[in-house]
Amino acid sequence: MIQRIDLAAAQLDSILGRASPLLKLGVAIGWFVGLFLTTEIGPPLFVAGCVLLLGWLVGRVPAMTLARGLAPLWLAALTIGLFNGLFHPANTEPLAVEVARIGPFRLTEPALVAAAALAARVVAIVAVGVVFAQTTDPTHLVDALVQQGRVPERFAYGALAAYQAIPRFAEDLTTLRQARRIRGLPGSWHPRLLVGLLVLAIRHGDRVALAMDARGFGSGPRTRYRRVRWGWPDVLVVVGAVAVLVGVLGLS
Amino acid sequence: MSFEVPAGATLLVVGPSGSGKSTLVLALAGLLARDVPGDWTGELTIAGRDPRERSAASGEVGVVFQDPESQLVMDRAEDDVAFGLENRGWPRDGMRARVPEALAAVGLTGLERRRPTTLSGGQQQRLALAGALAPRPAVLVLDEPTANLDPDGTAAFFERLAALRGAGETTIVLVEHRVDRAWPLADHVLAIGADGGPIAFGAPDEILRRHGGRIEAEGIWLPGRARGAAPARPISASAAPFVVARDLEFCYPGGAPVLSGVDLAIEPGERVALMGPNGSGKTTLGRLLVGLLRPTAGQVRLGGDDPARMPAADLARRAGYVFQDPERQFLARTVEDELTLGLRPDERDGAGELMTSLGLALDRFAARSPYLLSGGEQRRLSLACILARRPSLLVLDEPTFGQDRRGYEALLAILRERVAAGTAVVAATHDERFVSDFADRVVEVREGRVTPGGAA
Repeated sequence: MIQRIDLAAAQLDSILGRASPLLKLGVAIGWFVGLFLTTEIGPPLFVAGCVLLLGWLVGRVPAMTLARGLAPLWLAALTIGLFNGLFHPANTEPLAVEVARIGPFRLTEPALVAAAALAARVVAIVAVGVVFAQTTDPTHLVDALVQQGRVPERFAYGALAAYQAIPRFAEDLTTLRQARRIRGLPGSWHPRLLVGLLVLAIRHGDRVALAMDARGFGSGPRTRYRRVRWGWPDVLVVVGAVAVLVGVLGLS
Repeated sequence: MSFEVPAGATLLVVGPSGSGKSTLVLALAGLLARDVPGDWTGELTIAGRDPRERSAASGEVGVVFQDPESQLVMDRAEDDVAFGLENRGWPRDGMRARVPEALAAVGLTGLERRRPTTLSGGQQQRLALAGALAPRPAVLVLDEPTANLDPDGTAAFFERLAALRGAGETTIVLVEHRVDRAWPLADHVLAIGADGGPIAFGAPDEILRRHGGRIEAEGIWLPGRARGAAPARPISASAAPFVVARDLEFCYPGGAPVLSGVDLAIEPGERVALMGPNGSGKTTLGRLLVGLLRPTAGQVRLGGDDPARMPAADLARRAGYVFQDPERQFLARTVEDELTLGLRPDERDGAGELMTSLGLALDRFAARSPYLLSGGEQRRLSLACILARRPSLLVLDEPTFGQDRRGYEALLAILRERVAAGTAVVAATHDERFVSDFADRVVEVREGRVTPGGAA
């Protein structure tokens, strides 16, 4: 079931929690691009390690929370690594060093290295995502997007309202499936459920939009209850990001 | 329709389902042109101005809608109160001062940083009230604000409303079905008829004295009137209970138990009311009884079998469940398709008659969309869909929400007829009138535990 993340006050008041979400997003994207340019195993693992360590120490995210956030990732990394290893073109290369042979599959060393690098990148990307999500308050993110990123307010606050509604959609789906069962319809899945879900989402969105309009949204220039300003946590984030980058360059 | 309300007074608007009460709310809020296609003639002024001239923007009108979940938009309580102020361009210092005031006015001080979805329904609705009050509106419009709340939540909301009325700073327009609590607050009452035209407008006492009969004839609730005596319970011949729950426990994955140690037996023809505050586990218990949820521990037997493992087609003839929110159980495009979904051919004739007796005759309603019916009509359609299979156990979640008196009486008549034929009915409800009109046993659900309860 889809669940929202609830952040502890310690995480929100940490340096990473107080830094601009927009800046963190920028750093994350920068690293992602960098990771896609490399085909080695070391740099992504180094980034993942640094990010998790910083998330734990500087972001005050409990180690257990990080571990739980990463749990689904091991399976993903493993599957991606396995498939890429088995079906890598290097396996048909007669000169490549053979490591193992599983039935019709020949597993070679270059294929294994490439697969491990890919899996390492998945690990790094998920680690960065988990730490970002665990140190970023949604309201703070939207405020930063609007005030620092100049994202249109209608879009940003609409997205925040939609985010609020995620648990509601999960409930809608459960109720619709139960409604089918109690009407004697077999099977727990049916395409009609998606139609029902869509109708409910649209109607809910409509009601939210009406309530927002009733409170004067979009009627003129807005002021801000909460100001997002650049501050020293942002400087520390930039310093940290650069340090990790230097470390990566030193590695490769 | 013509009426005039002086500043600072409280107007109560009553009318049957589909009489246009919500349309009036939208008109007052200046949102009618936006939301409803149609023509507008005549004149409406609030503090001397037409609400269509952006009164929502000016903050002259504040609105509280029925459903708390769909009117809270921000992720923190204080931000939600500030939202309307930001939209109207209040300076930050003004907001910093006003937000705590508005939260205090509704008794939510201390919950500033809470996420609205973690508040109780009653708290959410008071938060919506704080958001509507924050810009100091000249008129506060409330569209059935307590329809989704439990008795404690309703009492707390009306307490705040009475204080607001006492302060006299805001003109209040309150739209309600069930008027027992609202009536004493009203300075004026406007009664609208089923055709959308006015029946009467005047002081509450005068309305009761001179127009009470006409208003009741339109199917509108009046305060504390006409309580039908509950018929004596027929003595059931069978001693064997149809539903047995033993040491039932339920928890969501990774969560604390919602229910634990529940023992309950229900005989054919019994009429059981499940009562207790929102979040106490009533809905969960209802869904366990009909096998829509599987207990974490303990067991449920429905006519001797485990309902959670029964094939759907068998289950649907043994047990029925009507969800609280009718929209969330609709599965078809038209009323007729909705009704006949999964029905056997031999059940269809009865279904048509059922619809007629619920005021939803198929020759008028068949081709309409279930989603576009009024709230009361949707609720009766969802009931018909379940009753058509003549289940031996019927579980209803808040069956009387949003029903006008006529819908309520139709519901009572059908339920009594089914009970007489041996159907056991279990209703999770806050409606004390319904309990005294219908139930013969009250089961209290509190914090996941059940007291089997005595006669109602």
